Amino acid sequence: MGEGYRFGGALPGVAAVTLRRAAAGLLALMRKRRLDRELEDEVIAHLELAERDAIARGLPVKDARAAARRSFGGIEQMKEEQRDQRSLRWIEALLRDFRYGLASLGRDPGFAAVAIGVLALGIGANTAMFSLLDAVLLKPLPFPDPERIVSLFEAPTPAARNGVSALNFLDWKRLSTVFEALSAESPTSVAVMVGGEPVSYAGKLVSADYFQVFGVKALIGRTFAPDEDQPGAARVVVLSHSAWQTRFGGAADILNRELVLDGESHRVAGVLPAGAFDRGEAVFWKPLVFTAGQLTRDFHWLRVTGRLRAGASLEQARDEMRTIGAGLADVNPPWKKGWSAAVDPFGRQLVGDSLRRTIYVVFGAVLMVLFIACANVANLLLAKGVAREKEMAVRAALGASRGRLIAQLLTESLTLCVLGGMAGVAIAYLLMRAALPLLSPSLPFTADAVLDLRVLGFAAAVALGVSLLVGLLPSLRTSFGKLTPSLNQASRGSSGSHAFVRRAIVAGEVAVSLVLICGALLLFRSLLNLRSVNAGVRIENVITMSVDLPSAKYPASESAVQFVEAVIERLHAVPGVERAAAASDVPLEGVRDGEVMLAPGFPGGVNVSFKRVHPEYFSALGIPVLSGRGFGAGDRAGAPRVVVLNQELARRVSERFGMADPVGKVVRVSTSDYVKKQSTLKDVEIVGVIRSERVGNLHDPDRPVVYVPIAQAPTQEVRLIVRTRGDASAALPGIREAIRQIDPRLPLGRVSTMEQVKERNLSGTKQPAWVIGAFAVVAALLAALGLYGVLAQTVLQQRREIGIRMALGATSRDVLSHVLRNAMTMVAVGLALGLAGAFALTRVMKSLLFQVSALDPIAFVIACSAMALVGLLAGFLPASRATRVDPVTVLRDEG
Amino acid sequence: MSKQQTEVRYGTLDLLVLKTLETMGTMHGYGIARRIEQVSGDALHLSQGSVHPALARLEQEGWIRTDWGISETNRKVKFFSLTKAGRKQLRVEVENWEKATALVALFLESRP
Repeated sequence: MGEGYRFGGALPGVAAVTLRRAAAGLLALMRKRRLDRELEDEVIAHLELAERDAIARGLPVKDARAAARRSFGGIEQMKEEQRDQRSLRWIEALLRDFRYGLASLGRDPGFAAVAIGVLALGIGANTAMFSLLDAVLLKPLPFPDPERIVSLFEAPTPAARNGVSALNFLDWKRLSTVFEALSAESPTSVAVMVGGEPVSYAGKLVSADYFQVFGVKALIGRTFAPDEDQPGAARVVVLSHSAWQTRFGGAADILNRELVLDGESHRVAGVLPAGAFDRGEAVFWKPLVFTAGQLTRDFHWLRVTGRLRAGASLEQARDEMRTIGAGLADVNPPWKKGWSAAVDPFGRQLVGDSLRRTIYVVFGAVLMVLFIACANVANLLLAKGVAREKEMAVRAALGASRGRLIAQLLTESLTLCVLGGMAGVAIAYLLMRAALPLLSPSLPFTADAVLDLRVLGFAAAVALGVSLLVGLLPSLRTSFGKLTPSLNQASRGSSGSHAFVRRAIVAGEVAVSLVLICGALLLFRSLLNLRSVNAGVRIENVITMSVDLPSAKYPASESAVQFVEAVIERLHAVPGVERAAAASDVPLEGVRDGEVMLAPGFPGGVNVSFKRVHPEYFSALGIPVLSGRGFGAGDRAGAPRVVVLNQELARRVSERFGMADPVGKVVRVSTSDYVKKQSTLKDVEIVGVIRSERVGNLHDPDRPVVYVPIAQAPTQEVRLIVRTRGDASAALPGIREAIRQIDPRLPLGRVSTMEQVKERNLSGTKQPAWVIGAFAVVAALLAALGLYGVLAQTVLQQRREIGIRMALGATSRDVLSHVLRNAMTMVAVGLALGLAGAFALTRVMKSLLFQVSALDPIAFVIACSAMALVGLLAGFLPASRATRVDPVTVLRDEG
Repeated sequence: MSKQQTEVRYGTLDLLVLKTLETMGTMHGYGIARRIEQVSGDALHLSQGSVHPALARLEQEGWIRTDWGISETNRKVKFFSLTKAGRKQLRVEVENWEKATALVALFLESRP
């Protein structure tokens, strides 16, 4: 194009045409063989035609063929030109660069291994974390039309959410028009005899249209028929896929089997497909049939989920439910004055704020690790770029354009990132396999964290982005290199601007690591603080277990009371058992029942957690009675009703009802019935006040709790609490045997020591602390690696200078401190930047912290010292190498 | 380059092929090469074979369309015809060509 004018230069719609040409070229690349044959045929046809014309012009046959060939010109050149024409030059160039990239990585396997390893770590951790984020927050719920699934609540205030009472649920169902299906559920557990041993199965009692709400159809058999939740219907259950597989060996005849649950025979109506319902606790579903006594409006024991009709909006549903809620005001008990009904998207209720925030914070942390990994590899490439300046200069001198050289270098970084990405996906797979079993209890059942196409796409995008980030800077810098100086330059001297860029990158790495270390330390300090919170109960040598009494065998409250008393008497006889008690709830695991306490003459009451306990509960857990008395054997059914308050409730009661000393006063407490799920108000005497125990989360302040004797308010869901003399688990076989002697068909549900209960309670802080802590360690190591690399190279480049200094009388101490000073300047700049970043960023963690300021000076000081120490260690190796420089050798070699 | 016969310059052949297809309608490769030779008399040195790469190029750009047909020697060959985009492209190239020659002519006419 030396003429300066080009035919058909600028065209309209260049982009479209180029795209089209690219597509055609790509197609041609794939159809190479066919196109070659077609071309061959064209040539033959052409020559035949030419030969025919030549004969027609009067040439002899043998000359005609030669003439045809002559006028055709070079056949092979033409073919070559045609191939050039149709193929995509840039793809060929890319493939060539890619091969070249692989080859040049092969020449320097140490560099390749470090770079790919670092990238794999960064990309892998990010990919694993993204799969979690995607599953919990981004992916639509794994049900058809998930946006139509909603949760419904009774709402004491517009912002508050409460469970739903049976009669209100039935009225909602009758009156509403926006729902295609509306279903109530309540968790349950049943005893199943497996090989002579009672085993507890967790399940759910659900309305017949429960599975319509989620749009799930049975894999085999069917889900529930519409009338199967009506009284008198045959007993049927639906099994989860995993239960069918693991507990029934995937038996093909499962639909003909009778399952004996709590001693009652049930037919298996169907098995669900594999999926979300395998990740919940429930393994079976049973129709929820309301007994007459359960049909009340004052006991809120149901969780309600609905599916909106196609076309109905959330707003419509909210409006309608508000109207229905207002219409039910007259039939609701008077204390529910002002309650309404609320509708929320199902997803919102699944993923709590704290889980959402934790995931975002951890994802942010892992992005920082990726950034450091990128910085490290960019630094390595820069260092390599310095070494390759000459190669590039030669290539440029031989006519390679600058764009072409940058493209080549970018392809090399792309090669690194593709390999790093592939290794990263493998790392992500391993990380997920290791971490998911630990994390899944904290995740909603709908979250399916897998390496699917979305996640792989994310990994690919990250690898591409990283290759640009990592490759662009070094390639720009390398190609900037001026030709002549590069060619003339012997291997001497420092390389000014490169060194500056590399040092800046290292300072950035130190800064980001510091932010991560600060974050991790703040979380660990929270964890420590949480651990040292006094739960108000004895943790050591206490074991808890759940026992659910089946209605069939324990139909009345008396039978439950008898069971509890018999078990506790028997447990006292077990060797190693010091104290044995029963309660409705285990400390730190929440209180299921909420009731209201009223005082005569005062309108409105105090909301209280309602805990049923055996008299020995307080002493077994070491909870002191502050005033009055605890419960005694005399506080049995039929005796005058008594309650004990915790300190927090005592405080509120004296505030609210003006009782200076509540002990001895009579108040009214709503109490739910044994089976009927119905609350009635009872007049009770306050007989004592105990020190508050943490009934729920360790980090929540104490809630008001009212304790009632379990004999006066029995429950089917019994928790046994046993204090042992030695190791709690050693006494477990004896405890099991004691329960078997009383009811051989009754399984022990969840068994955990109080230590385990406490650890579970900490997991919301413990998991992010360890994860971010691990990231911080990786980040610090990567930063150290980066620092080491830069210093090592600097020392190598300054050997001459160091040699001269030493020749002029510098001691090895001087040299050592010179190099270390160099290291510490980088670290100091990084720390300054990092502190600024930490001040800005740890704020987002505020809600994850417990009794630690987001700007906690101790954490910041420790983090800075740790990072400085890491920097010093990373600098020490190159520094000591510098002291071993032999001035004579250096000066002679390069002088 | 002081040959009597003019070499076909890079890019010019595309114009010639497009123009030929515009005038003659559908043709096969040999026909196009012959037609270019005939129109130019002997003034143009054209390797007949070089029309094939040009045709491939034009087809990739979407300016010409290929259909299968039977040659006068009873062989299955490709027949080429202009597409709508090709017509448009031809107009652009002709315009460019005229501009370029006009520009060059202007220079050649200018006197010292």
